[in-house]
Amino acid sequence: MPESIPASLIIDTLKDTFREARKELAQEVAEPPQHSHLGWILSVPDTHQKTVLAALDKEEQIRVLTCATEDEAATIAGGLYIGGEPVVLMIQHAGLYASVNTLRGVAMDGRIPTFYMIGLLSREKDKAPRESRHSMVRYAEPLLDTFGIPHATLEGPDDVHLIPEYYRLSRQRKGPAVVLVGLETI
Amino acid sequence: MATDVKPGPMKPEEVLRLIAAQRGPAVCIPTMTTGPEWRAIAPNDLSVGCVGFMGGASCLGLGIALARPDRRVLVLDGDGSLLMQLGSLATIAGAAPRNLVHFLFKNGVYHTSGAQGIPGGLSVDFVTMAKGAGYRTAFAIHNLDDFTRRLPEILKMEGPVFVELHTGLAEQTPMTARGGVPFPQQVTDLRAKLLRPRATT
Repeated sequence: MPESIPASLIIDTLKDTFREARKELAQEVAEPPQHSHLGWILSVPDTHQKTVLAALDKEEQIRVLTCATEDEAATIAGGLYIGGEPVVLMIQHAGLYASVNTLRGVAMDGRIPTFYMIGLLSREKDKAPRESRHSMVRYAEPLLDTFGIPHATLEGPDDVHLIPEYYRLSRQRKGPAVVLVGLETI
Repeated sequence: MATDVKPGPMKPEEVLRLIAAQRGPAVCIPTMTTGPEWRAIAPNDLSVGCVGFMGGASCLGLGIALARPDRRVLVLDGDGSLLMQLGSLATIAGAAPRNLVHFLFKNGVYHTSGAQGIPGGLSVDFVTMAKGAGYRTAFAIHNLDDFTRRLPEILKMEGPVFVELHTGLAEQTPMTARGGVPFPQQVTDLRAKLLRPRATT
């Protein structure tokens, strides 16, 4: 059965992911950006990941920018990438559906590495997302498959390794990669 | 109705030439009808054109401005485009990038798709919206003399700055002047210019 993941574990994993991204960039380029923070979270608030967003408010090493829409978040992420900054988008499934054209135009056609954490709000614990009775849960994976976007689902604390793996994957394939957050974080 | 209001007297090409002459090492984000002329004026430089995700110029500029606070970033936006992501005014104001100048080329129409009027036409007051969203400074400019006189000061202002430019229609649009460097290549090129990748052997 899937389990909820503590916010602290996700935040520690995000920090490690950002540290690794900065280290790699420093090896690749002569003028990496110089900031005191590790990286950026661009969020359109997600009920499913609200404990993470609340804990991030107290974090000084990660900058959080709340965006009005997921279109904005995906485009700002593109600008941050151009400037050399590590960034993770935290949104919910409804926001994925709302921002498909930007996902296509910026991350896919623009070949911009873009890593998403997408909350599956209302996902039932005893059902695979594709079998959910809620359309907003059920269509997330098929939509990502339609666009050829690699994705995996966090089904518990043991799965947090997927965060750096899919972050790296977005860099390697120069496009979007997604981890779906299976249950509400705690 | 609102679309009866006559367009502003400034030619967008003249405005863009003035910006190009004074922008220095600023990163520029043209979109839609500012794109073709900017491509001609400032080819292969610190610019990335925004076409294919209409409305995204302001947020693409915001991301670059946040990543590179050492660089000034100039967004060359359109009124129809901004309406597609109007919430970006609040997001930009919330992020408060001191190095961002948001120029809005206001002509009251969706020029690229056939010059259909935008909702509200020329009566839409983007200056009030930007001020209300929380931009540090927001004002309109109606003629080229005024723009010529104020541009040096605008380029030094602490951002986010919003400048509504009352212009006529551009001579070219992305539909009449197709081509240019593909977007992903522009992204790669600009990133390389900003970060200077180490030579690989």
